[in-house]
Amino acid sequence: MANVAIRTVGLSKSYGENLALAPLDLTIQSGEIFGLLGHNGAGKTTTVNLLTTLLEPSAGVLEVAGYDGTTHGGNIRNSIGYLPENVQFYDNLSTMENLQFFGRLSGLAKPEARIKEVLSYLNFSSHDNERVGSFSKGMRQRVGIAQAILHKPQVLFLDEPTSGLDPIGVRELRDVIVSLNQDLGMTIFMNTHLLSEVSKTCTSIGVLRQGRLVYQDSLAATLQAFPSEESLEEIYLQIDTVKSK
Amino acid sequence: MSIAIVAARQEIQSLRREKLAQALLVVFVAMVSLSSFIGWLTNKNVTSIYRRVKDQGLTTAANPFDNVPALYYLRNTVIYLVLVGALLAIVLGVASIIRDRKAHTVDLVLVRPVDARIYLLGKVAGVATWLAMILAFVSVISWSSIAFIIGKPLTGADTVRLILFFTMSLFFLMGFVLLGMICAIYSSRETSALLLPVAIWSVITFVLPQLGTADHPVSLLNPVPAIANHGGVFSTLNSIFNPFSITEQFKKVSSWILGNTDFVGNPSIGLIILALVLLVGSFALLATKRDRLRREMYE
Repeated sequence: MANVAIRTVGLSKSYGENLALAPLDLTIQSGEIFGLLGHNGAGKTTTVNLLTTLLEPSAGVLEVAGYDGTTHGGNIRNSIGYLPENVQFYDNLSTMENLQFFGRLSGLAKPEARIKEVLSYLNFSSHDNERVGSFSKGMRQRVGIAQAILHKPQVLFLDEPTSGLDPIGVRELRDVIVSLNQDLGMTIFMNTHLLSEVSKTCTSIGVLRQGRLVYQDSLAATLQAFPSEESLEEIYLQIDTVKSK
Repeated sequence: MSIAIVAARQEIQSLRREKLAQALLVVFVAMVSLSSFIGWLTNKNVTSIYRRVKDQGLTTAANPFDNVPALYYLRNTVIYLVLVGALLAIVLGVASIIRDRKAHTVDLVLVRPVDARIYLLGKVAGVATWLAMILAFVSVISWSSIAFIIGKPLTGADTVRLILFFTMSLFFLMGFVLLGMICAIYSSRETSALLLPVAIWSVITFVLPQLGTADHPVSLLNPVPAIANHGGVFSTLNSIFNPFSITEQFKKVSSWILGNTDFVGNPSIGLIILALVLLVGSFALLATKRDRLRREMYE
């Protein structure tokens, strides 16, 4: 696996006159849990959509898992997992049927054994034959994580993974994210606006403001750089205030 | 396993559990069965009256049902395919796309190494398989009920004609599946995704034939392909609009396949037009870009 998991140079996205993401230069090393912070509408989801090749960039280059986005989009898709915000499934199919479908699309000829392994890892085996339509948000997130890691991706993209979860669900998902990184060595790119989540899971952070990356560093360096601030929330507000001037 | 096969399998699995598709399927099968029952009842009543009249010495003519071809009883099925079958096909096509767009599952698909065109072709194959199973079931019902009405099994030639008719019906219905899928891809609202293909179907089925056959309106409802051409404006309008009236072409070709004694003309134009519809629909579907599939869909 390449040492650099994600690299972008001048990556941008515009919709006509509207700039959704200003030229973005970003480098994330393999094995990191990177948290991209920002207000609603800052451009976090656009960034994830570009990195997962769901959107075509207006300009710039991107490289994920060592593959160039312009020429090797298919290889990137083979190497990543993705959990969108508010993940949805085919409600009238069971967990197993949904995962079989996504597993086969990822190239797993007989995904059943792998699905059982993943569901067991996520403590979700007892729900494999239940229809997804009856699931709570937290249960859907579990299935969402399962579909994202079925094919053992190198890089995992999570868009607001804890949004709408209750406190227990948030803690459980946080544990899953950390263990995916530590046990399976996945690089994780996570969009969030919850600072508590970042401080407990991420190894490095970036801050997007109105489509521009205004800050990027490791979490440890960030905490050192702002010694007078009591919490990450204070640091974030300071970065946001300084950069908006 | 190829992406197309995976998509086709998933499509069939979803359709099996979709309530609207199930309801339309029941209506369609019920109408075809009813059509056989009506055919049997008509035959029984007419024959019974004929016998009474003949016993009273009021006629020496033959029983009007004695010389009708066995497949005559499929006449109403042709109409049900044009009316209920085409609507079922549109609903299946629309549902196939809306299911993904509404739930945003299309993002989970496109983030994988999947060619959007192959994926769409797989969906088409899934719906085609589902429709083929329905038509196979309907053809068995038709074969059995006709055999019951005429009191003997259908001949080999008639069985082949019946199979040909339902095969051609599948291609006809797939045109409407493609129409439904394309409308669902390009519509931003769920309601317009369904209304637009239904509006197009109404124009094809009712408006276009009316423009050319207003002096022979019965042909709109009966599978009688021969159009009364008396010359003048209706004849001209008919020559312009007839090729676009896909349902009329279907009725014409059906009539030829089923050995309808009223059939006149050349079925090849109808066959070419039905094939063209499928071809154009397939190209339009394959021209769909990945971004288009991801567009937001509103209620």
